[in-house]
Amino acid sequence: MEDKDVKKESQNHTDVKIERGNPGDPRIIAFVCNWCTYSGADLAGTSRMKYSDNVRVIKLPCTGRIDPLFIVEAFKKGAKGVLVSGCHPGDCHYTSGNYHSRRKYATFRDLLGYLGVDLDRVEFSWVSASEGNKWVSIINEFTDKIKSLPGKSTDIFTKK
Amino acid sequence: MANTKTDEKLQKIAKDLLESGEVSLIIGYTKGSNPYRMRPLFITKAEEAGKLSFSSHAVQDLAVFLKKPEVKKFGKIGIIVKGCDEKAVNALIQEYQVSRDNIKIIGVECNGVIKQNLADKCETNVSESTVYDKCLICEEHIPVIYDFLAESEEPKLVLSGNVKPYSGIEKLESMSAEEKNAFWAQEFDKCIKCYACRQACPLCYCSRCIVEKNMPQWIDTNSEETGNAQWNLIRAYHLSGRCIGCGECERACPVNIPLMLINEKMAKDVYNMFGYKSGLDINAKPVFGVFSESDFNDFIK
Repeated sequence: MEDKDVKKESQNHTDVKIERGNPGDPRIIAFVCNWCTYSGADLAGTSRMKYSDNVRVIKLPCTGRIDPLFIVEAFKKGAKGVLVSGCHPGDCHYTSGNYHSRRKYATFRDLLGYLGVDLDRVEFSWVSASEGNKWVSIINEFTDKIKSLPGKSTDIFTKK
Repeated sequence: MANTKTDEKLQKIAKDLLESGEVSLIIGYTKGSNPYRMRPLFITKAEEAGKLSFSSHAVQDLAVFLKKPEVKKFGKIGIIVKGCDEKAVNALIQEYQVSRDNIKIIGVECNGVIKQNLADKCETNVSESTVYDKCLICEEHIPVIYDFLAESEEPKLVLSGNVKPYSGIEKLESMSAEEKNAFWAQEFDKCIKCYACRQACPLCYCSRCIVEKNMPQWIDTNSEETGNAQWNLIRAYHLSGRCIGCGECERACPVNIPLMLINEKMAKDVYNMFGYKSGLDINAKPVFGVFSESDFNDFIK
């Protein structure tokens, strides 16, 4: 690669950064399980379905692996919305990971709401490997919801 | 002050236990530096049993010492507990931190303990307005499980219903997200990250707390907005479905963050969703260690 190209490359990189800071582009982080939702999202992709590009997918082995700290961390790093998605009840690759995480998240969601986080900013869903359509509609609806939130909606994890 | 009958009974139980060698250490209360303070006491010899005492100023939850290695090395331990503290012992047994065989539970009937800030102003009267909120909702004035019991001679706590325990919870629940946010931001802003809440908690027994794990560093250790909120949220979350409501965290907090408003709210939610109350049954599985296929599912798409 020539020097000129490198410069061009870094120029592009900077542009992306500026775009990230754009308030009109809320960032959504999706924590998904490897076996169902990730495959579902993959299906949506390979079927050439279009969905909102605000979402960034982070793949983990199982919803049971998604510690509530991850959600907090995402908010702290500036995400506007966080989605947690995994296998339908009964379909967990590890038999019971999603049942355990459902209990955890029912409680954790209450706690978040109680401490003043707008509950429209967290979403949970079950998406199976064959539900590319459901994935697309969940992401699009969630993005619309996040975009419709008042701009200054803050949480206790963000610096004032 | 002379010994009350409760004191005498406690002393006799302790003496017998130590003499027979059934336990090698007894953790209890003794009179403190002034008549309005009680302090923890550790005795290993039968002749020291006379120092034991109990009164409505015995606010400490002695179960907190069961997690200490210095105490664990004694093997068989006798512990003097109020109803609320005994629930902490149960929770520790449930989570395999203490073996039921290694512990002799000496229960005392308690009709409420006086708030320490009032006790420091020489308050001695046990009434609705002088005891902690936890005493107003207490259903275990006599411990759930005990090997020995010392009955109280003090009059029962009379509730007129004028003082509403944990009234802050309802108030907060009715607030908007923005208002709640502002309330907690202000409270957590006071936090100095001394971790007294964790040290005073009988159920915070991890030898390495999440806040001390630094690869990666999940929780900012400096005392500023984001880290404070994270710390208090995660501690509350780690205690959801486990907190037995002894209120030691709030009492230990040097900047008076109303931590029990969070812990009680979580206990209430867990009870509403899963019908589970912590520390009542030593044979029950901890609520997040099990699941049911018909669990609360409304929030998931």
